[in-house]
Amino acid sequence: MCQKESEIRQNPSHFEGTAEELEMSKTIQSNYMDYVKGMKFFDPHIHMTSRTTDDYTALVDAGVVAIIEPAFWLGQPRTGLASFKDYYSSLVGWERFRSSQFGIKHYCTIGLNSREANNEALAEEVMEILPLFLYKEGVVGVGEIGFDDQTAAEEKYYRQQLEMSKEAGLPVQVHTPHRDKKKGTELSMSIALEHGIEPGMVIIDHNNEETVESVLDKGFWAAFTIYPFTKMGNERMVDLVKKYGPEKIMINSAADWGISDPLAVPKTAALMKIRGISDEAIKLVCYQNAIDAFAQSGQINVSDFETHQEIDQSLKYNGNTVLRGGQIPRVDKNSIFIS
Amino acid sequence: MNAKDSLFEIIKANASQKELNWIETKATGSLQSLQTAFVATPRFISKTPINTSETLNGVDFKTWTLDKLVRAYFLTNLSNSDKEVYTKTLNTLFETAENNEAVALISSLALLQNPEAWLLRATDAVRTNIGVVFDAIAFENPYPQEYFSELAWNQLVLKCIFNDKSIHRILGLDERANKELATSISNLAHERWAASRSIPPQAWRLVVNYLDEPIFEDIKKLFDSESPNDQIAAALVCKFSEFGTAKSELEKHPDLEEKTKDLTWSSLEF
Repeated sequence: MCQKESEIRQNPSHFEGTAEELEMSKTIQSNYMDYVKGMKFFDPHIHMTSRTTDDYTALVDAGVVAIIEPAFWLGQPRTGLASFKDYYSSLVGWERFRSSQFGIKHYCTIGLNSREANNEALAEEVMEILPLFLYKEGVVGVGEIGFDDQTAAEEKYYRQQLEMSKEAGLPVQVHTPHRDKKKGTELSMSIALEHGIEPGMVIIDHNNEETVESVLDKGFWAAFTIYPFTKMGNERMVDLVKKYGPEKIMINSAADWGISDPLAVPKTAALMKIRGISDEAIKLVCYQNAIDAFAQSGQINVSDFETHQEIDQSLKYNGNTVLRGGQIPRVDKNSIFIS
Repeated sequence: MNAKDSLFEIIKANASQKELNWIETKATGSLQSLQTAFVATPRFISKTPINTSETLNGVDFKTWTLDKLVRAYFLTNLSNSDKEVYTKTLNTLFETAENNEAVALISSLALLQNPEAWLLRATDAVRTNIGVVFDAIAFENPYPQEYFSELAWNQLVLKCIFNDKSIHRILGLDERANKELATSISNLAHERWAASRSIPPQAWRLVVNYLDEPIFEDIKKLFDSESPNDQIAAALVCKFSEFGTAKSELEKHPDLEEKTKDLTWSSLEF
């Protein structure tokens, strides 16, 4: 990834702590996972549709036991209702199955993303089929919805979907815009309140230092996306947890088709541990708060992932007996032989 | 009693009063409301295993849970007085099904008003790679035995063998064995052997009545296999086959002949 020098200066990704911390950060690079051994993680925002089986294996190894995959923009704009229908079906069908093969519990949120809300003719049709999916098992919220360019169309479908969430008793996962984030975040919250939605039922996502205070003050959940270059870095995240404490704060990777890191949650947990944040606080931010927020849907049964799940031997994938002896089969990446 | 009433009897014996109340308010609703109730069932109905010895149209409910049974009941409540609307409603359910819904739909095919109309959905379920959905059509389901063409049947059985699934759970397995399938099994075994792999030994039960010279060569090879279960499979094929030299081949392996004297294929059902 090429970055402009000016951008790097504005958004430094390099280490800016004390000399002592710098030394530490160098020595722990290779074994950060040791710091979070035995911890369980819940990533409440990750787009596995765009990720590979290698990522699933890495998630399992890092202690991620459950994930939420919000419906989002696939990169290529959809031109017909059937594409939306098939996408939503894949979130409760194929992707759910794919995840189960690795012993990871897969939930999703269903919604019309802000970007595609601007295709009004199509958006109208999507609104009609959404209820069919919102009531499905394992659908833990309406999401990710909200503002992108902050257009009138975006607002119209954001409002309609807020009403649907109320009707279905589902939490709302709100995407906040990259551009003009502060204004978009405030607008998203005030509209939710206007529709009589409990702030405790709304997860405001992609927060940063500029938005977090207002979100917490109003009683919403504040989610942070740890995403290289464009959103939060995890060192800044550690500072935020130190400043605001762990209540009502959660982190996610939002890993997708962009340069992103599916291990953002466990990596940030390790960094928090190294920087002296307590295990209880780490658990809240990297696991429990997300569960508490989304379990309000009535669709999360923690025993599905808290107790060790024997991977179902009946799950076979395309002729490969993927899961022998309850183990994920390992491919030796360094071997020239494929057998 | 029709399917709808019979299902309700089983539900009554297994559901709580609160659950029954919810079911009764939904069962008499419009197609649209039944469709929504089908989707929302697990929000109101528990997943407790069903306790019943009843079977219905060949469907055995032994392994069913209550939510699945209630979903089947809602399906039988859909009125087909307007065929077009009925078909559209069911198609929407199939097309938007979450995995547990898909399992309920596929498991209920034999309970629908005209099961033969849903053949394509059934063969699609054979094509799926989602384990639970495939299992729903393959195992303890009377539909394939009743409605599948020989081609579709053979696809189902071969895919099970290919994926090391337990073929003895397919209803009608021995009854629908055929020459074409026996040849395909032999071919699959050759491919596997070339890759130093094998096929599940009980698959050979399907060649018993279709032995010819080439397949008989496979059986001889099984006698020489290092796997004791392959050897047992070879012995069982010879024991049950009427093929010319099968019996004399078995006599060449007196230890196996003795060992399999009282055995049936059930000893290889895993």
